[in-house]
Amino acid sequence: MTEAMRLFALQITLIAVVLVLHTYLGLHIIRRTLIFSDLVLDQLAAFGGLVGVGLGVAYASPGSYVFAFAAVLLGAFLLAVINPRNPAIPREAVIGILFAMALVLSLLWTDKIPGGEAYIETTMSGYLLWVTWPLIRITLVTYVALILFHYVLRHRFIALAERPGEQKHERLWDFLFFTTQGIITVLIVPIAGVLLAYSFLMIPAAIATLFTKRWGLATFIGWSVGFVACLLGLGSSYAWNLPYGPTLVLYMGLFFVGAMVLRAVLRSRKKESVVKGELCPTS
Amino acid sequence: MSDLIEMLTLPFLACMLMGGILSYLGIHVLKREVIFIDIAVAQVVAIGALAAHLLFDVEEGSLISYLFSLACVLAIAGFYSVARHKISEISVEAVIGISYAITAAGALFLMGIAPGHSHAQEMLAGALLWIMWPQVLTALIVFAGVSVVLWLCRKSLSAVSQDYAEAARRGINVVWWDFLFYALLGVVITVAVRISGVVTVFALLIIPATTSALFATGWLHRMLLAWLIVVIASTSGLLFSYYLDFSVGPAIALCLGVLLAVTAAIVRLRPKSGPSRHPASLTTEGLDSERS
Repeated sequence: MTEAMRLFALQITLIAVVLVLHTYLGLHIIRRTLIFSDLVLDQLAAFGGLVGVGLGVAYASPGSYVFAFAAVLLGAFLLAVINPRNPAIPREAVIGILFAMALVLSLLWTDKIPGGEAYIETTMSGYLLWVTWPLIRITLVTYVALILFHYVLRHRFIALAERPGEQKHERLWDFLFFTTQGIITVLIVPIAGVLLAYSFLMIPAAIATLFTKRWGLATFIGWSVGFVACLLGLGSSYAWNLPYGPTLVLYMGLFFVGAMVLRAVLRSRKKESVVKGELCPTS
Repeated sequence: MSDLIEMLTLPFLACMLMGGILSYLGIHVLKREVIFIDIAVAQVVAIGALAAHLLFDVEEGSLISYLFSLACVLAIAGFYSVARHKISEISVEAVIGISYAITAAGALFLMGIAPGHSHAQEMLAGALLWIMWPQVLTALIVFAGVSVVLWLCRKSLSAVSQDYAEAARRGINVVWWDFLFYALLGVVITVAVRISGVVTVFALLIIPATTSALFATGWLHRMLLAWLIVVIASTSGLLFSYYLDFSVGPAIALCLGVLLAVTAAIVRLRPKSGPSRHPASLTTEGLDSERS
């Protein structure tokens, strides 16, 4: 097998596994309107990495992961704990402000480290082309463990979305949910960059939510569509030498817009048939 | 001292102008729960500028670049207003989130095609310190124009922001008013982001509106409070960046965040007498259990 083929196979395997957990978690995020919670954690992971750089730890090195993980745990804690009671302040506003603060801290921090601007761009786009087997193995094992964890405790987490306020220790489960998000963020952001990681989470899940509310089916639909879009993106990126992460995101985006149009068409047809049924009840 | 005044007067004026209109729009944004609209629209604006650069080789800030950005803003405003009307399965905030990812990827994609046009840091952090009089005057004219439209259309816009379904039931053309709102917001963001970067605009949009919700419910009171917050945070942010040599925009955003955290903590920890007049406090598990 040539080196290029090996790399391609490695990337496909990674995407296939990553998409399962991301799609499932994305379903939660969309149902609970915690849309930008992932960006908070992504940005905090990036900030943690940047703090490491400032202290002499190379970006995306094992030491850097420790910094990123510490920042992300703090983020998961704040996301779980700060829950506005006032209806005038949606939870998403808290998420937005945490995101802004994480980004602001990153920018202020990079003011003071040499080559800071380049790091800001690296954290945005990632460098999936440089992934290595040991990193992939750690990522895959962690993802499989997390998928099992979420499968075993799925009723707890689903209750957060379907019956909010009814479960005991809700904030603990919230914390565990955001911590899962945080762990995958720490693993995936240095590989895929903030944008692609966010897209893996949001786009397949949003496509699936347009068509079904069933968790299992939605995960399957989201994974399938996301995987096909990523395959096309990967192929295009290789064939025409296009920037990697953005190409994948754009393909997923194309599928999302297509799904929205399909949903709108199906909806108007349904309305039409209802109207027709009302007009000719005997037919 | 005169150095300080000379250097910070224009940035301060720009903050007052931006904060004035953004904090009002922020109240709408909170009511509509479209928190990340600024970040998504800013990306769309960047796409417009990049496209203009690729097609006509014009610099950011030129008329053609502005027109391209404006066209993109109107297109995305149309997309959001129609999506809100046609799609009920996912929230408009989710659509905004995904559109952000797609447009940010689009911007990176175009930067990949047109190397040398990559200013991620500048787009995020802005260059508020180097603002000139013409930019301040442009902002003044544009924001004044938008404010007049907002004032004239305040009833319909507020009705849609307050309760979309109810407004639709009352026969208000929700798609049109939604479009107008996003278009006006987009115009303001286009001008503001060029001045101070995405982060500061986002902070000015969301944080004063959120802080004001801790103390008031009426539009007028919230606006006055939000403006006061803008004045305090802008002044302290500018001084912070001047004396400690940090980027101005992020410093102001940080001050807005700190101000919110401090006021939220004060509201939360303040001893209550009788029924709470401020249901706005932020609650935490730890504090809840302490009380019980």
